[in-house]
Amino acid sequence: MAEEKSQASSSKMLTLKASDGVLFEVELNIAKEMKTVQAYIDDCEDIETIPIPNVLGKHLAIVIEYIKKTNEEYDAEFEKQWNMDDLQLLLLAANYLNISGLQECLCKAIAKRIENKSPEYVRKVFNIENDHSPEEEAKLRKEYKWAFEGVDKD
Amino acid sequence: MMDHGNDFSNWLDPDTSLKIFKCLDDPADLVRVSCVSRTWRDFVVENGLSKQLCLRMFPQLSRVACVVELNQNGVKGHAEVGSSRSMESLALWKDHRVFSYFARFCLSPIAMDCIAKAICASSTDNFPQESIDQTLEERDNIAGRFSYWSSSGQSNPNVPETLTYQLASQICIIKEINIQPFQAHFQMGSPIYSAKSVRFKMGHLKASLNDLSDEMFVWTYTSPEFPMAQENRLQKFILPEPVLCIGGILQVELLERVQRQEMDGLLYIWCVSSLCFSCSSSGDPVVTSIYC
Repeated sequence: MAEEKSQASSSKMLTLKASDGVLFEVELNIAKEMKTVQAYIDDCEDIETIPIPNVLGKHLAIVIEYIKKTNEEYDAEFEKQWNMDDLQLLLLAANYLNISGLQECLCKAIAKRIENKSPEYVRKVFNIENDHSPEEEAKLRKEYKWAFEGVDKD
Repeated sequence: MMDHGNDFSNWLDPDTSLKIFKCLDDPADLVRVSCVSRTWRDFVVENGLSKQLCLRMFPQLSRVACVVELNQNGVKGHAEVGSSRSMESLALWKDHRVFSYFARFCLSPIAMDCIAKAICASSTDNFPQESIDQTLEERDNIAGRFSYWSSSGQSNPNVPETLTYQLASQICIIKEINIQPFQAHFQMGSPIYSAKSVRFKMGHLKASLNDLSDEMFVWTYTSPEFPMAQENRLQKFILPEPVLCIGGILQVELLERVQRQEMDGLLYIWCVSSLCFSCSSSGDPVVTSIYC
């Protein structure tokens, strides 16, 4: 009897509504991985549809899939698929929904795009304006000459 | 048309930006990152990322009280007169420079034997023929004469022995230590006077000694125990992680005697040589002076 009850509660479904109106039906245990959603449920137990105003349907779908499939292998492949725009929005989503595993995975992914790259490349990828004066930059490059050798080609 | 990604230090909260930068394990990456823009440079310096990277690599650094930066002439640098930066900001910038260089050193692999000289042994049987100085010589036989250190004899196997050495530099990174026990071919049965296990300590000389009975050294690192083989060969003991030794003192602690000498029935430990391998030692005058 007790078994049946726990089975029922774990297969309870919840609806998440993305910012562009797209609806996702997810199992409760999946939704609970999003601590923000968990807090919502804790506050109002009977709720069936939870609005997620900050996240587009496209990205919510990716997040839900991540939660379902995450493991070392999946994570390693996961981060390679996304361009900077998507990484940016996925990380904002992970932060808003408070999913620590996904946050970590995405932070590592962004760091990977910085590793062993020249400052020029990084500026291009992240669309950053170089506000160093030419003298400042020259001084930095001279003082830390060793750091600018052996960098990946742009 | 897709937008290019934006500078995440603008659209992410500082904690998440920090998480991203902390994923960078190479000190060169941190230097290049600070070259990208002033904002990124300030973020790296103000959050002490170079220092944090060094602390992750070498937790032993947490004992460091303060760092003094020396200029090219080996003289302590002074704050710029009329600098608009606060004392705290100047300290953060100094830390950034020092730890960036330090991290770089720690990653440059120069393997060398870094024992400079023997300081003392906990006991010696026949001085000076069997003194600790003999362990600095790799060979066990020099021109017909045996070269080894011998402890004094004990009936209790649990009396440990220690061999204390001075390293080639005040700042060393130690990865492995090699020891060879001695096999006494001149005795019946050619016994090998090894120990059951060995442990290593690293540290520095105590700043002040109140009386002669005080322990002379402060140990900042103690390794796990490694079992020793009862074999006459150079035995390698690789530390679980490379260890930063600040202060240049290494102690080999030989635990539990195994071999009894037939002549007097006492247990001894005899050792041919100790070698200590470092992956780099700091000789750059810009970085030095670390106070614990």
